[in-house]
Amino acid sequence: MRTRRSAALAVASALALSSTACGSSHSSGASGGAATSTSKIAGSGSGTGKTITVWYMDGDLSDAVQKAIDDKFTADTGAKVNIQVQEWDGVNTKIATALAQGNPPDVVEVGNTDVPLFAANGALTDISGVQGQMSAGQTWLPGLVGPATVDGHIYGAPLFAGNRAVIYNKKIWADAGITAPPTTFAGLTADLDKIKAKNTDPEFSAFYFPGQWWYGALQFVWDAGGQIATKSGSTWSGALESPQAQAGLTAWKNFVTTYSTQASLNTDNTKPDMNALFAQGKTATLLNTSINGILKANPAMKDQIGTFPFPSPTDGKTQPVFIGGSDLVVPAKSGNQGLALAYLKAATDPGVQTSAIVGIDHWTPVSTQLIDQTVSSLPDTSQAFFAAAKNSVATPATPGWATIESDKSIKEFFADIATGRKSVADAAKGFDAHLAQALNATS
Amino acid sequence: MKAVRVGRVGLNAGAAVFCLVWLFPVYWMVNSAFKPSGDLTTETPRFLPFPLTLASFGDAIERPGFISGLYNSLIVTGGVVLLSIGLAFLAAVALARFSFPGRRGFLIGMLVVQMIPGPAMLIPMFLSLKSLNLLNTLIGLTVTQVAGVLPLSIWILRGFVQGIPVELEEAAMVDGATRGQVMRRILLPLTLPGLIATSVFAFIAAWNDYIYAYVTMKDQSKYTLPVWLASFSTAQGNDYGGLIAGSVLFAVPVVVFFMVIQRRLVEGMTAGAVKG
Amino acid sequence: MSHTTLKPAAAPTGAAASGEGPRSASGARRGRQPRAIPYTLLAPAAVVLAVVVGYPLVRLVLISFHDYGLRSLFTGVSPWAGFANYTAVFHSADLVPMLVRTALFCLALAAATLVIGMSCALMMKSLGKRMRSLMVFSLITAWAMPNIAATLLWTWLFQPTYGVVNWLLTQTHLFGDLRQHDWTASAVSGLFMVWLLVVWQSVPFVAVTLYAGVSQVPAEYYEAAELDGAGYFRRFRVVTVPFLRPVLLLVAMMSVIWDFNVFNQIWLLTAGGPHGGTSTLVVWAFTKAFASQSYGQGAAIAVLSTALLTVMMWYYVRRMVHAGEGL
Repeated sequence: MRTRRSAALAVASALALSSTACGSSHSSGASGGAATSTSKIAGSGSGTGKTITVWYMDGDLSDAVQKAIDDKFTADTGAKVNIQVQEWDGVNTKIATALAQGNPPDVVEVGNTDVPLFAANGALTDISGVQGQMSAGQTWLPGLVGPATVDGHIYGAPLFAGNRAVIYNKKIWADAGITAPPTTFAGLTADLDKIKAKNTDPEFSAFYFPGQWWYGALQFVWDAGGQIATKSGSTWSGALESPQAQAGLTAWKNFVTTYSTQASLNTDNTKPDMNALFAQGKTATLLNTSINGILKANPAMKDQIGTFPFPSPTDGKTQPVFIGGSDLVVPAKSGNQGLALAYLKAATDPGVQTSAIVGIDHWTPVSTQLIDQTVSSLPDTSQAFFAAAKNSVATPATPGWATIESDKSIKEFFADIATGRKSVADAAKGFDAHLAQALNATS
Repeated sequence: MKAVRVGRVGLNAGAAVFCLVWLFPVYWMVNSAFKPSGDLTTETPRFLPFPLTLASFGDAIERPGFISGLYNSLIVTGGVVLLSIGLAFLAAVALARFSFPGRRGFLIGMLVVQMIPGPAMLIPMFLSLKSLNLLNTLIGLTVTQVAGVLPLSIWILRGFVQGIPVELEEAAMVDGATRGQVMRRILLPLTLPGLIATSVFAFIAAWNDYIYAYVTMKDQSKYTLPVWLASFSTAQGNDYGGLIAGSVLFAVPVVVFFMVIQRRLVEGMTAGAVKG
Repeated sequence: MSHTTLKPAAAPTGAAASGEGPRSASGARRGRQPRAIPYTLLAPAAVVLAVVVGYPLVRLVLISFHDYGLRSLFTGVSPWAGFANYTAVFHSADLVPMLVRTALFCLALAAATLVIGMSCALMMKSLGKRMRSLMVFSLITAWAMPNIAATLLWTWLFQPTYGVVNWLLTQTHLFGDLRQHDWTASAVSGLFMVWLLVVWQSVPFVAVTLYAGVSQVPAEYYEAAELDGAGYFRRFRVVTVPFLRPVLLLVAMMSVIWDFNVFNQIWLLTAGGPHGGTSTLVVWAFTKAFASQSYGQGAAIAVLSTALLTVMMWYYVRRMVHAGEGL
């Protein structure tokens, strides 16, 4: 659900001139976390009269949810919260410079895939020691806590998750004779074929899937058992040339070239805007993170929309999804370590997660237990996203991953395959080489 | 005379075509700002924004940070324009009228500084401002942007000062005027077109800056308008309607500023052409 | 500027008391000219520049010789790297194609901007008040558009399915059905799209500045030339250009410099693709710096890029500095 424009990151880093990360993934010893797990979570009443500063990203959590977390925190410690909202464009530079100052904010919301950037460079507090208290027996989603874990140390607590599920236009589907969403991959393709047969306008697509929409493309790779990259010892290497990954990539290529439009093969989800296409009936199906964009473009469609998790060719399963979301991190130089940790605890509190994160914003909560508990309370159209989240995969937990997202090489990789510019094998070979270089990030 | 009239018609026609082409993107933007957001992407482009709606503008203004952003932007930009004109004018006089050691070096330095890729200086400048305790202050931001605009301003004004015959000043000084009076009464009015060109350039540079404003300010209350504009693109998607409407609002002061000034520009030029 | 070297006889009328010859006047002036004055006038600007630009510039160069990364930003510690950052750049295979593409693109941008800008300035000079205001308005709105909005606008104008430009072009029936055409699919069309955007927003500055310069040219010179029988182009060449030379040289140089360093528009429209086909030196520097992930390398590339540009422009830098040095 990390639909933030990678342009944002790109501009960010562009404006920092060179990159933002110097990841030595062999950051043993001189590990991050100056103020480490020796800090304890602040107790009740210990924060009276104090105020901590929390940075949230614009648009992720609604004001009501932020307030809910603040209230829990204040109830726990007596301290107040000063919230500052940050914009996406240039945010990594902003966070980097903020963390470099003597008085950084006390808690920062960082996109899950960006956490390794800061964690591996000594900027964040190691919370491994108090993680048990925060998670209270829950199993945090690997997609959220994985990127925050560097060399076995945890540097951030998950805040919320979002991911992708299939969104379909019930009316178009019904017109093609389909009344219930498919539960198998074969069923899905059969349904799409029927829709395709019924709607022959060249600008119409049964399933709009842009070639650069890598979040979705990765699902096919993971589903086939492939990985983006693997780590042996302390060295990362690209894994897209493996037979499983190749199979997944080929399956994806066949899927998009069959069901999406020709023009979409080289573009991403914003040019043109996927939601707008769906809202105007130019496509019957989408893979996206929420239906809100569609509703904004065409509020009248509300009852026409249905969702279901993307089925896997392996019967009974759904495709593993790319989990997007944010973690809360504590800058190592913050002067309010105890209170900051208490804030993280408030945010991950099952009660808060259930009533606010899920209840108000309908985001996916941070643990598999919470997902199970809350899924039934959701509106129909949100349930598919939750269901899909249980099978989530993390991107490589190394600072170099931020490079891959920012230099747009991953978008180009998939577009090359979709358009046929490169064969699946050649594209994988080239991208694996780039992955090896970027993920290992030796400077 | 007929040739002149044909020439004039041709000239006007050419200008009209130019304006049409140059304005098209802006027209498209304004057109989109008045459409309901669902109409922003339609199969056949709609060239007229009917049904007309101010909804996008409403969205834009309601987004938090507009008023404070506007306030901060006006202060910073105003400061940048005034400071840069003042400093650049003085420097230009020094460089155009005097010969002194270090003059060439300074001039070359100004040009070389312009060649540095903009983003390269972000981190070093941040560290510099941090040492001076100017982070998170409007003054710090103003001074930073003045420095960004100064080299070019100095060069432009130097050219204009050089364009004024030195005999005018010499004559005035022979008549007993001080150097200060000469600068104020003779040079300043005659370089007016240059001052105006520089002020527009400074205005736009300061008004449009995003990254320095974003990185040097820690408090949201100190953000300028471009940061507000960025808030329309979140991870959840882009509020295109709001962004477009916001951009229109954002561009208005600049256009107004210049349209007001351009009349002075013309007057200044007529006066200059006659040359005393 | 040739103005200051005109003999008194040809100087514009109205100059008071041309009684004392210029030689003695300037001689007298030089005699009693206190040494401190130029420095006093220059001081305020110099101080601001030294503090805000000079000091960081020194730091930038220093950083280029260190292995400076994100960790260094936090801890303040960075190992010395000598010339390692620089050699890494020189050894890259992408260097030559990148340089060639940058030079050509920069040239295409600067030439177009200058030609169109100059034409605008000349047109505005001859136009009636209303048309001129309209032209000024058109230019200024293009210039005033914030970067983020202009680039977004461009992607809209040119996108497949919904792009107005695609639709308009299709209506002309000259190019076939372009509605689904993806402008970013090929390097040439991608560069063309970026070229349009950059030129659209750069011409106003050139036009405004040149217009200010052009209007400083005294009418008497044109009249004199016309009386001598000079036609339009001759008048342009003989009267306008010499008067404009310093300003023209300046905007030409600035255009080249800015066009060389264009980044945002390329990155946001094409991301340097496909396959680096639309990457210039700055874009390449950005992605290369990413792969190595260090501020040190990035700084080295910035230094090299600046040095390259300086060397390329050296001849013109000298000319600019010497322009008007007949004092």
